[in-house]
Amino acid sequence: MSGLCNFVKHRGVNRQRTFYCVMNELVLMAHVMFGVACLVTTLWVFVDVLNVSESNQGRIRKMSCAAAVFMWLAFLIAGYWYVFSYPVDKAIILKGPWPFAHSFFMETKEHLVILLLMLATYLPIAAAGNLSANKDARRVVLWVAGMVVLLALMMEGDGATIAMGVKMGLLAGQN
Amino acid sequence: MQNTGISRYTMSFGLALAIASVVNGLLVVAKEKIPAVLAGMQKLTGHHWVSHSVIILGLFGILGWLFAQANGGQGIKLTVNRLIGTLVAGVGTGGLIILGFYLAGD
Repeated sequence: MSGLCNFVKHRGVNRQRTFYCVMNELVLMAHVMFGVACLVTTLWVFVDVLNVSESNQGRIRKMSCAAAVFMWLAFLIAGYWYVFSYPVDKAIILKGPWPFAHSFFMETKEHLVILLLMLATYLPIAAAGNLSANKDARRVVLWVAGMVVLLALMMEGDGATIAMGVKMGLLAGQN
Repeated sequence: MQNTGISRYTMSFGLALAIASVVNGLLVVAKEKIPAVLAGMQKLTGHHWVSHSVIILGLFGILGWLFAQANGGQGIKLTVNRLIGTLVAGVGTGGLIILGFYLAGD
């Protein structure tokens, strides 16, 4: 992070803007970190449910709750960033060579993420039953966890494309 | 209807999730195609996406709670296959509406 600060300072940007720039990046990184944490914990739940027994049921429930909490944190942080910081990036993307990074990838991401949030919230509800004794309950959790993982991977890909859209716009602006 | 051993909340919120997913997709189309809807959502919270999120998450919570109160508090009755089918179809349809709409519009 100090590297980023130094980079901004060497560009002749003042202290206040440097602070804003670093905070903006921190918020964005926290969003990605919690999103990945949700993905990993949900994958953990999926594998644990495939090997469910009396001994790991408690862990499955805790990990399901953790996945939901991580997803809510990722969503709330992303919401803050999207409302207050994204308009600048959006303008860069739309003026650059990759306008579809906003018009398709961001537009779909900001609405598909609501599905992901509901699925992640539903996961601990579905995992609350007796999974070791009930095959039907296991099937529901496996389907929900599978959809969470697939949607989360899609969101990560969308996020990467949006970041590339900003980069392409900035590079095009330098030439 | 056989007893599936699945809690009423799993059934109720699963069905609510499927419905809210489809409504989520339809709301995207409505706000992009009808300026008055977009303006109304903008006015509601100050940002259309915040209003959109509140409406869909509220619908999910309210429908889930209502379905759990059905049948004298026993919750809505579904077979597990029907629940999983509805859930996957709802999420899939909601997702495809959004992807299809922006793919066609891009």
